Amino acid sequence: MVEVGDKLVGYATDDEVRKRGASGGLVTAVLAAALEKGMVESVVVLKHIDEYEAVPIITDDVEEVLASTGSMHSVPVNLAKYAVDRKVAMPGKPCDIKAVIEQSKRNKIDLDNTYLVGLNCGGTMPPVLTKQMLIEMYDIDPEDVVGEDIEKGKLIYRTKDGNEKAISIEELEEAGFGRRKNCQYCQLKIPTNSDLACGNWGVIGDLAGSATFCEVMNEKGKRLIENAVEAGRIEVEPASDKAIAIREKVNGVMVKMGETTQEKVFTQMPDEERLPYYREALADCIDCGGCKLACPVCSCGDDAKCTLFHNLGDNYKMSMFHLVRLLHLSDSCIGCGQCTDVCPVDIPITRIQMSFSIPAQTRLNYKPGMNADEKPPFFEVMIQ
Amino acid sequence: MIGNVYQTVCPGCNIGCGLYIREDEEGALSIDFMKSSPANEGKLCRFGIKLPEHYSKAVSMVDGAQASVEDAVKAASDKLKGADVTMLNVGNTTSEESLAFKAIADTLGTVVNTGMGVYSELPSECHPTVGVGMSLSDIESAKRIALFIDPYIQYPLVIRRILKAKENGASVVSVGWRNIHLADENKFIDPDKYESELGLDSESVIIADVHPNADPGWVKRMLNLALKTGAKIIFMKPFVNATGVDLLCKGTGQKGLKEIMDGINDGSIKTLVTLDSDLVELMPNSDEAAETLKKLDNLIVIASRDSAVNEIANVVIAAEPQYAKKGSFMNVEGQLLKNNGSGTAGIDALSSLNQNLGGEAMESASLHNKVLEGIIKKITKPKYKELACEVMDIGSMEGAKGNLVFLYNPFMWFDQKDDNDFVMVNLNMAKRLALRKGAMINLTSEGGSVSMRYKVEDMPDGLILTAKKIPAVTEWVATVSTEVV
Amino acid sequence: MADNNDWEPKIVAFCCNWCSYGGADTAGMGRFQQPASTRVIRVMCSGRIDPLHVYNAFLEGADAVLVTGCHLGDCHYVNGNEKTELKYQFLEEMVKQLGLEPERLHLNWISASEGERFANFINDVTAKVKEIGPSPLKPEGVS
Repeated sequence: MVEVGDKLVGYATDDEVRKRGASGGLVTAVLAAALEKGMVESVVVLKHIDEYEAVPIITDDVEEVLASTGSMHSVPVNLAKYAVDRKVAMPGKPCDIKAVIEQSKRNKIDLDNTYLVGLNCGGTMPPVLTKQMLIEMYDIDPEDVVGEDIEKGKLIYRTKDGNEKAISIEELEEAGFGRRKNCQYCQLKIPTNSDLACGNWGVIGDLAGSATFCEVMNEKGKRLIENAVEAGRIEVEPASDKAIAIREKVNGVMVKMGETTQEKVFTQMPDEERLPYYREALADCIDCGGCKLACPVCSCGDDAKCTLFHNLGDNYKMSMFHLVRLLHLSDSCIGCGQCTDVCPVDIPITRIQMSFSIPAQTRLNYKPGMNADEKPPFFEVMIQ
Repeated sequence: MIGNVYQTVCPGCNIGCGLYIREDEEGALSIDFMKSSPANEGKLCRFGIKLPEHYSKAVSMVDGAQASVEDAVKAASDKLKGADVTMLNVGNTTSEESLAFKAIADTLGTVVNTGMGVYSELPSECHPTVGVGMSLSDIESAKRIALFIDPYIQYPLVIRRILKAKENGASVVSVGWRNIHLADENKFIDPDKYESELGLDSESVIIADVHPNADPGWVKRMLNLALKTGAKIIFMKPFVNATGVDLLCKGTGQKGLKEIMDGINDGSIKTLVTLDSDLVELMPNSDEAAETLKKLDNLIVIASRDSAVNEIANVVIAAEPQYAKKGSFMNVEGQLLKNNGSGTAGIDALSSLNQNLGGEAMESASLHNKVLEGIIKKITKPKYKELACEVMDIGSMEGAKGNLVFLYNPFMWFDQKDDNDFVMVNLNMAKRLALRKGAMINLTSEGGSVSMRYKVEDMPDGLILTAKKIPAVTEWVATVSTEVV
Repeated sequence: MADNNDWEPKIVAFCCNWCSYGGADTAGMGRFQQPASTRVIRVMCSGRIDPLHVYNAFLEGADAVLVTGCHLGDCHYVNGNEKTELKYQFLEEMVKQLGLEPERLHLNWISASEGERFANFINDVTAKVKEIGPSPLKPEGVS
């Protein structure tokens, strides 16, 4: 039937789901089938509120799973922590999957009982800025938007009146809009670390827009597909060589763009400028603790050294909270950008953290979030 | 869905940050970020992040024993019939419930007090400007910003607006209290010099605040500054619905919190009804406030959370938690912010109470329509004339005495525990007092003394700042003597 | 700022109970000249030292922090100092990235008999730190 390593193209058999889906509704159907057939107790999905807002929910209702279909580029949420201490199936962008794998290294998620349906991702966008972008760059009222797509480097919006408008992402980002900053230098666009890697790259011909390209990454992925086919929820066929090549090519282009941007963003500062830069960048911190709460890799909870060693009344020139986090995440920061999203004083925390993490991870030849058997270097202090 | 997710508004202050409150299967709360919320883009201050510690379930009680809501409402109506009633609503709950509360006031022939005593000292032409002076995005387009608050401690979500303004070339001058990082200039000058030395004009913005303990002279001074320079002004406020309560419950006697407590003490107030307004939390000295409240013949509390005053009340009418209510709030910009909850227990109880007292029944939809009628469509230009005022003198003082100033923040208004139990002094004062590391400062005023940790900050000498409620000190600015413990 | 000749830097030295503290002791007994700049914090094993302790020392006003312990292979607790070495790598890398001068942080294995070596080490570090001046992380009011 289906083997690990298979590259398939498929879609949901339910026409409604297939139509509403970003590209064929395969992911939704696979999740629904996993719930229906008892592979998992519940599913994590995004409950739509409008085009720019969705909230993660944990559901055991198949209808709610089916209702969640559709991609939301303006909802930059990370779903990893909703899988903690549960037996769920969940969709996830590459960064969500990275975080889940990191949580499993910390014994918070049992990967054997957590099914990960990965989604290709070129990047997500901040919702409020996106609405501003629609007004300023697209001349569209945000309320009139009925759908969005990213195709060949262009961001396309479809409006109520049946029209659509596309602008290149490069142009948008040069104007200060477009994707979140960390998405621009992210280099994992196909979630090879998940059980199934799904997306619309490589879906060509008459299936374009109504089918999903799906790569079976491991045994669990194989089970997910087989289960969904048995349940009659999906139909799949092998992907053509041409489709596979196109997917490779698109991925190659996206990853290269990420690499180039990373080089531009992370330049080496002269030694004497570093400390003043970091002190200045962190000076506005109001000690809300949002970055720690939002971090999908953090798992210490209340017993964290970063909060135990730090107090509001400290008379220090730098915050112990930040120094501890910078050190403790040097090996494990996955660059998901959640910390920057929630910082109330707009500190670019991801960039600051990554300026420590990228050199550390490069030197240690360690990529967090990819392989659950690869323990973080800090843990290696347990010497045999 | 397993558990519940509520889209709601943080109750910390009047900015009205949007967020999600999540209840899991066991009822444990956690917060989630609502990144599309225009007021805050999902971001929250320390109080917002700690909201799970703030919320708790209220339980209806009659004379100290648990009761059903119906029994509590009946007991309350019996106590209120024919009594001389004082009513308090500072703005911690929805506009719909606030209107229902006002309807009860009308039925009883009395008014709702909001605790903002300062309004009754201001001519009514000033009220719109103090109520809704401008929008938060006006801060971003200002060329110069004068800060009369400490944004890091008091209203943190204002900071990113100021940072955006700076990106657009604005200059920031911070006036009073602490030297803050984002200010280009920090001036600790005489109020007489504001017009001449702050460099404000019609493209400037003044950020001040008003709260139950505000000095009316100070508020007038701010209004005059805005008038004379042509600058826009915004008065930040505590309590999520302070603006809603102010705008919708118009014609209210704005008795201050202290006036109410004085009235209880001298016997002129015997029956008090509060709507989500816990005087034990709000007053500087909680123990004293509790003792005072016990002097009432009847204390009726309508509460959506379990707070200190519920223990003392004769009747507690419990409503659903604020985040689960069906209703809306009005923030400092006059924006309508809605909960997505469907809970009407609070409104139903208020309606029931009103009916028992001879008034009409009320329900959520019609109350909401009234709210929509009352919202501000356009922010009006200030129409007041210069006000005569006297501002209290806050000068530097050498020696062991100091001027203690409170930096009001949500933790203070809810008497909620936080790591903010320290005072800020400047380096010279620390040296004068020969403060060693780990020492505590003993602050003594007429009301008593208290020991607190200290932190050295870049600020004027002789000033002592704190974000923590100190029971011994009841004014916004007070003289204290200090010694090292 | 501080006059280099008069200002005495504050150096915090974490010493393990068995070797390096012994070395400090031997330095004293052997009357080797060393400046009075060092504050010794004795720990049972250098492996106890958390990088956070080092940050804390800097934030409290240390101009330099020394992490010392037994020579590799000589640890009283078998492999405690191996853990120190691993942690130190992370610490050193972060301190470098942070922009704190590398002269302010040192790792040195010193045995109990190496009194002269300990004294020379202190002399070296003190001289270097005097040259580069007080730590930029020193709080106001700490000299």
